[in-house]
Amino acid sequence: MADSSRAGDPSAGDVPVDTRSVSEESDSSNEEGWEDVEPDEESQPVMSLFSEQVFPDVRSMLKDSKENYDFDLLKIQKDLGLDFLDTIKLVNYVRSQVKAGNKYPDVSSKSKFEDDAYLKPVLEDDALLYSLDDIAEDAQDAAPGSEAERKVIELQEELERLQSQFSEYRIAVQKSLEDQLSKEDETLGLNGTTSSEEIAANRASEIDADYFASYAYNGIHESMLKDTIRTDAYRDFVYENKHVFKDKVVLDVGCGTGILSMFCAKAGAKKVISVDNSNIIDRAREIVYDNGLGDVITCIRGKIEEVELPVDQVDIIISEWMGYGLLFEAMFDSVIYARDRYLAPNGLMVPSHATLRIAPYADPDFIASHISFWENVYGFKMNSMLLKIYDEAVVRGIHPNTIVGDSTVFLPLPLHTITVEELTFLKNFQVTLKEDIDALDGWAIWFDIFFMPSRDSDVPEDAIPSDMQKKGYVAFTTGPDGTETHWQQVVALIDYDKKKPCPLKKGDVIKGTIGYRKRSKESRGLDINIQWEGENTKGNQKWGLQ
Amino acid sequence: MSGSDSTPTGVISSSADRMVGMEHSEVRYFTSYDHHGIHEEMLKDDVRTRSYRDSIYQNRHIFKDKVVLDVGCGTGILSMFAARAGAKHVIGVDMSSIVEKAKEIVAVNGLSEKVTLLQGKMEEVQLPYPHVDIIISEWMGYFLLYESMLDTVLYARDTYLAPGGKIFPDKATMYVAAIEDGEYKDDKIGFWDNVWGFDYSPMKEIALTEPLVDTVEVKALVTDPCPIITFDLNTVTTADLAFKVPYEVTAKRSDFVHALIAWFDIEFSACHKPITFSTGPHARYTHWKQTVFYLRDVLTIEAGEKVSGYLENRPNDKNKRDLDITIDYKFEVMDENRFAEGSCFYRM
Repeated sequence: MADSSRAGDPSAGDVPVDTRSVSEESDSSNEEGWEDVEPDEESQPVMSLFSEQVFPDVRSMLKDSKENYDFDLLKIQKDLGLDFLDTIKLVNYVRSQVKAGNKYPDVSSKSKFEDDAYLKPVLEDDALLYSLDDIAEDAQDAAPGSEAERKVIELQEELERLQSQFSEYRIAVQKSLEDQLSKEDETLGLNGTTSSEEIAANRASEIDADYFASYAYNGIHESMLKDTIRTDAYRDFVYENKHVFKDKVVLDVGCGTGILSMFCAKAGAKKVISVDNSNIIDRAREIVYDNGLGDVITCIRGKIEEVELPVDQVDIIISEWMGYGLLFEAMFDSVIYARDRYLAPNGLMVPSHATLRIAPYADPDFIASHISFWENVYGFKMNSMLLKIYDEAVVRGIHPNTIVGDSTVFLPLPLHTITVEELTFLKNFQVTLKEDIDALDGWAIWFDIFFMPSRDSDVPEDAIPSDMQKKGYVAFTTGPDGTETHWQQVVALIDYDKKKPCPLKKGDVIKGTIGYRKRSKESRGLDINIQWEGENTKGNQKWGLQ
Repeated sequence: MSGSDSTPTGVISSSADRMVGMEHSEVRYFTSYDHHGIHEEMLKDDVRTRSYRDSIYQNRHIFKDKVVLDVGCGTGILSMFAARAGAKHVIGVDMSSIVEKAKEIVAVNGLSEKVTLLQGKMEEVQLPYPHVDIIISEWMGYFLLYESMLDTVLYARDTYLAPGGKIFPDKATMYVAAIEDGEYKDDKIGFWDNVWGFDYSPMKEIALTEPLVDTVEVKALVTDPCPIITFDLNTVTTADLAFKVPYEVTAKRSDFVHALIAWFDIEFSACHKPITFSTGPHARYTHWKQTVFYLRDVLTIEAGEKVSGYLENRPNDKNKRDLDITIDYKFEVMDENRFAEGSCFYRM
């Protein structure tokens, strides 16, 4: 369903794709707010870099900055050899630092503000940004305008170069795809053009073909990329730790559309190897190329256990392997395999730590609308539909007020050392209720993720992401207290089997054990077992997550 | 997930099972629920379930002492409606293991004597009767025909329906209209232009070929709706499900057009007093929502102007369960800056 355009459908070719995407690109750059704005001939009021004071023009503002804040923009520009974009970053960097309360931002080196994030204007319609060309002219009286003109010519040349590269690339991709398809047709004994989906379908004998196929759809990638909690965390860690990535060889396990690989490449990695066993790898390859990172990133299709990497060892493994309840899908096994096989002795895992949490759950509204519903459906009893509800754990976004006791960590996972065997476990836990409830409806499970910049950094077993963030580390939670992620939470509903559950009191302590077990070697499903006992509650139940 | 496994045609499964795999982002939710959620969603689709109930309960004289076949019975709700309406015997058939649950449900409601449920393919199961008087089925998929069970219903009709027998429902009409949807199009399609600072345009091409099943607000409609095709289940054949039909929509106001949408209306014309329901944007929410087809152009349209063209639908040659849809459009106006025509291909 998703791949028709790549499969070379003739009707898709009727559409003038290139023209359109070029015009849209220029549209979107307009929205960026600074790029295409005409340099204003008239002098325009401009806000001081260091205070709320507004000056009639840029020159007087810069003069004030120099005299009162010891900040000489033109001199810094010259000393650090800043080009147009660098200067824009400098301005935004200074504005953001001042906004954050630092009146004397460190501008000793270009690296302080080299992050592309500083391309984004801090002030809306910042007149200073529009006037950078003018002040550059002022500075270079000798050759007025030449800098801007040279820039335009350079950009034009680069555009032409990229356009021709891109069309060559299109042809190359199409050709190699056709070759590949015809080869695969031969091996399958099929004639004519076979869509890649069908080839995938013919291979569906592999047990997990479905799993990899489902990842070829746009929808899933869109929901993952739009999960800002997830993607921001990876981006922040990579971009805030460029020194860690600089000149390193990075392996991205399960790269998807290649976003993490591109973060690493932008952060200065020498080489990034991106592996995925889904059709999406073809898209990733194209995206990487479109973003000019083809020299750094190598995309390889296949299972990490089977592919041949161009290197024996990597310095960093980055992966977004987390599934529902952390371990559903068992992709983590592949990450551990990659670590043991390829990671250098002092290499870094990104992320570096994870913790699994459990908490008591009570949600009378959910029980009423989803459980009681089956007791009378258009005049019929359908209670037997309920049996399954208690067999399968449910993935839902739950409200924080349904968590009726503090959560507790039942499994810390240090990614540098944990083994596959440790992913099947039985652990003790203990929780204390923080309010009176009519019934304990179930258990909620979620996980937290931590990104430490060195393999020696310690994360306490009961670390809380928001606390780690305050200490300057990157971390996020998938719990009900955080912004919702696409992982939501796992809810395991308790089956009271027609017996009425007892009300429980604030302060009641419940002790128990929780176990995770993979369904089978082939399956990506997971069995969760919880046994618990408290003052007025006791049980032992198993749920599947599939 | 169901997109890649191959199921032979003519297979029956309750529409709940067919729906699984549709909303890719929800796939894992529903599978983790073992399809529970989808049955719940469909039963809670009040427009759907109430229309079936009314068309059966208000026509007890038609159902009394009749033999009824429920094609794709799911949880058995339609079979039980028919039994309560006085049917002599109801046979429900479904591929899915939900039949096991349905049997329990039928038993709990004391209807086991009247309702026989069989798990299997329509072509393979042994019905206890050579002919049935009435076929009931909730066979409709997204865009009416996506992963629909209509061909199975037609097989059952040709094989089992007695002469003069009735089909509930028996008429389906598809509509198209044009909508303004700039903001959402930007969110769904424009999103790929800049993903965390990277150019993701290769994904955009895929996104443009995927019709979107979503709820469209009535105020987004720029044009009047245009009926494009009606299927009469008493006479339609499988071959008729591949079609190319013209459409023409007229703008009610000056606005932009980003997409065409499609929906369907269902009629139970065998009822004493016909019962209908619509899945259009002007009607109450149903789980079928509407299907949105983004155009590559943005049309700048003035009140009274027309967009016309053809909508072509056919099952994919290689995977019969997929639909290949082509929408040709022509926006003929004197102003050459606004003139537009094109042809867009979609696969669902």
